[in-house]
Amino acid sequence: MTADTDATRETDPSARRADRRAERSTRRRFLSLGGTAGVLALAGCSAERTGDGGDGGDDGSDGSADSGGSDGESDSADDDGGDETPTLTVATYSSFIDAPSVSPGEWLKDTFESRVDAELEWVTPDNELNYYIERAASGVSVDADLYVGLTTEDLVRVDDQLDDDLFAERGDVAGFDDVRDGLRFDPFDRAVPFDTGYVSLVYDGTVTEAPETFEGLLADEHGGALIAQNPGGSSTGRSFLLHTIHRFGDGGVASDGGGETVAGTDDDPDYDYLDYWADLQANDVRVLGSWEDAYTAWSNGEAPIVVSYSTDQVFAADAGEDLQQHQIRFLNDQAYATPEGMAVFADADEPELAREFMSFMLEPEVQGEIAQRNVAFPATDTATLPEEYAELAKEPDEPVTFTYDELQGSVSEWIEAWERQYAGN
Amino acid sequence: MSDRRARSLRDRIEGRLLTALALLTSVVLVVAFYYPVGTVLIEAVVVDGVATLGVFVELVRDPFYFGELARLFAGESPLAVARALLGPERRLGIVGFTAYQAALSTLASVALGLPAAYLLARFEFPGRRTLRSLTIVPFVLPSIMVAVGFVATFGTNGTLNSLLSALGLPPVDLLFSLQAIVIAHAFYNAPLVARVTTAAWESVDARAVETARSLGAGPVRAFVDVVAPQVYPAVLTGAALTFVFTFGTFPIVLALGGFELATVEVFVYRLVRDLNYAEAAALAIVELVISLGVLLAYLRYEANHTVSARGARPLPRKSLLPSAATARELLPRAGLAAYVVVAATLFLAPIASMILASVTGGDGALTLEHYRFLLDRQRTGAAFQVRPWPAIRNSLAFASAATLIALPMGVVVAVLTTRRYRGRTLVDAAAMAPLAVSGIIVGLGLLRGLVFGVEIAGWRIAASGAVAIVVAHAVAGYPFVVRTVAPGLEGLDRSLIESARALGASRARVIRDVELPLVWPGVVAGAAFAFAISVGEFTATVVLATGTDAYTMPVAIERFIGRRLGPATAMGVVLLVVTGLSFVVIDRLGGESRGL
Repeated sequence: MTADTDATRETDPSARRADRRAERSTRRRFLSLGGTAGVLALAGCSAERTGDGGDGGDDGSDGSADSGGSDGESDSADDDGGDETPTLTVATYSSFIDAPSVSPGEWLKDTFESRVDAELEWVTPDNELNYYIERAASGVSVDADLYVGLTTEDLVRVDDQLDDDLFAERGDVAGFDDVRDGLRFDPFDRAVPFDTGYVSLVYDGTVTEAPETFEGLLADEHGGALIAQNPGGSSTGRSFLLHTIHRFGDGGVASDGGGETVAGTDDDPDYDYLDYWADLQANDVRVLGSWEDAYTAWSNGEAPIVVSYSTDQVFAADAGEDLQQHQIRFLNDQAYATPEGMAVFADADEPELAREFMSFMLEPEVQGEIAQRNVAFPATDTATLPEEYAELAKEPDEPVTFTYDELQGSVSEWIEAWERQYAGN
Repeated sequence: MSDRRARSLRDRIEGRLLTALALLTSVVLVVAFYYPVGTVLIEAVVVDGVATLGVFVELVRDPFYFGELARLFAGESPLAVARALLGPERRLGIVGFTAYQAALSTLASVALGLPAAYLLARFEFPGRRTLRSLTIVPFVLPSIMVAVGFVATFGTNGTLNSLLSALGLPPVDLLFSLQAIVIAHAFYNAPLVARVTTAAWESVDARAVETARSLGAGPVRAFVDVVAPQVYPAVLTGAALTFVFTFGTFPIVLALGGFELATVEVFVYRLVRDLNYAEAAALAIVELVISLGVLLAYLRYEANHTVSARGARPLPRKSLLPSAATARELLPRAGLAAYVVVAATLFLAPIASMILASVTGGDGALTLEHYRFLLDRQRTGAAFQVRPWPAIRNSLAFASAATLIALPMGVVVAVLTTRRYRGRTLVDAAAMAPLAVSGIIVGLGLLRGLVFGVEIAGWRIAASGAVAIVVAHAVAGYPFVVRTVAPGLEGLDRSLIESARALGASRARVIRDVELPLVWPGVVAGAAFAFAISVGEFTATVVLATGTDAYTMPVAIERFIGRRLGPATAMGVVLLVVTGLSFVVIDRLGGESRGL
């Protein structure tokens, strides 16, 4: 699977999508789990009888309800046969269920289980979605019904890497019509957005006044003032880099990877994001590793401005901190939007229950709770949120983001070009 | 009669024991290391099902990675490349820079580790044994904790600058520079140099020194001729290991340096994250070749420069108080005093800052709220959340089990690699490889090789959970046992072993009763390192713990990282205390020396 990356990078993206769909019908899963024949409970070792090439989920387009169902029936030991309460296995990133401050996981589980006769099981593999891409690529059953926390980029990566569909079509999800325009990021209608965030600048107003434009960051008075994150390893850093590309254009970098060239909105065709970053670097910007690295350094006063989220004051108010030290700045009145979605796995055991959960996630009250507990913004325009939340969680006048088609074949090239310029040793 | 038969049976079993252990070790290595890692590395040379060297060729010809050397690989004349390398505009490339910072870090670690070894091995003072036990505590700290400690200590508004300004001195701008990275690497690795060197120094036979002195050698001459040759290999061990670790360094570089100073592993991480496995595997192989090259060069040196030793009656320790007001008594002690000030700044201050951060609230006032968080999470945390006590319990259980597996593995490999035979270099390389492979690649390999498993005749064999974690930790830790035990074994006087054999002792018996007691400080140091590696391990643990409750303290720390680092630092202090106590216990269990 991974071997496909370089070979297909040359081809036109739309052709590649067509390819993927054509291949899906011809290609058979290398192997599939056709029921557990036996489990060697010996010390964490397990041996499972693999299928003889049956239809244990080789095709995702039909929602795979049938194949999944038969799977569940054949192994009665640990799964839900017959009348027992079904289990919905929801995969997500760890801070969604286990953050030191607040996280929506526990509330969602309790509320969903109180309404539906089902048990919700959270799973948080360390490498997040890549874990499921690996499973699918290795021909191992996915073992989860739903993924919560998909980004546009995740979908691009999934579709690049796998020939078979990892996710099923959205299907019938109540409340989907309430999702705000501009947040529906999946052109193939699999992912359902459930919240969004904005990457912006956070600055200490007692030390500096952050500039209002990208160009302002290049001024002498802001020399050494900004801390950002490595776009190759941190999603905040990546969003900020993408925002600069949106602003200044990519100078044709993406066309090397078969992506579309981005012109930018700065009216200067000769000045692209690499030029801007060269100027930023000359003005002593710090690009550290993770968001934690950057925020720790910023909190200790190493620099007065940091790339972070526009919800920073929610946390600050919660911790009783001086809000003057936690000011938000939207450069050019914009911020890079990072909508998060959820989608049903193609070989889910409980696809209908998963869709019920997605409908649940979009209910007005639940949307309000997710936003507050995940410290983000609702995806629907019908969410119920306390008024003071909007005072602390700031939204930009103009959210910007790249679409699936714009990111496909481009994002790796953009990051690599940036790395090569920034870290030239 | 029956007595003799029983004895001959026991001899036969003992005779086979070594072979059996060696076989078992090989099996463990293949299952938990070679096969998993192989599933990833092969992607560098098999693309789209076709064997190719294209990825490599492109990589080594890329000046971004190889700087001026790339031109050599691209076919330019060596002379032109040499001239470019000497020129002011030379480019090291990412690989070259990574080696450069690793070399600097190694020098710093040796410079900071040796005085500590001198102090611990040659002087007697209250708390010496505890201090020796605690030296490797920094080794287990997660990088985010070290970053917190360093920013709070060496940052613009850090403790060091407050101190300097109170003394009327100008502030220093240490952070986000190569210096900061080198110091952080020394923070991690100087303790390693100190610990292995101390172990070797404590094994120096006092009789040899006494003989030299009685033959008229002065103290300096006796040191240079007798002590130094026996301590030297251990220093090199520490240096080689430090180079390998800092060559594969990752999060700390970006946390305290910045992306300008990115190392090879930063790119391996990004490429794996983007699922670009061919290039990631190729880069990881480059890392592996360089790291193994350094290790093998050192092993070759070690093999050719051993000094025979007959036993381990340690040298008598000196008092910290000078016995007379002579320069020879005062000078070393004055030097040590200066060293203690430097060491306190570099090692204790960041740890103190970490502890301070764990009791500081958002408003800057002292508070116990972060520890209350730990208690709350333990009491009320949901079943699917990470709780402190299981993390502590698992860490201790895994580390103890991993140490017990790593010890026999390490001793067997040490015995095998200190014999002389053809192909020994190969065995050495194979045994040391777990130290040299990128941690990110090992994690991915374990996911594929163990968690997903292999299909054999219609059965999918997989392994995850506690036992898999213990085995993976043992594989990661056993090279330390090899490296702390082997130099001593190599130096043992062969006649001791030969006479024991001639008297009818089996090979296993000789190892147990003669050889190991003679190199005992090395065995204990190896055990401490194996334990430390397990306690500090993160990647393999999270990969193999997927879907189970087998999480450990570093995993809990990572989970507790929020917008404020209070809860995570509180957990970090718990890790510090728990591992500190464990090291003391290990050293006490090991005893001061089982020497003759």
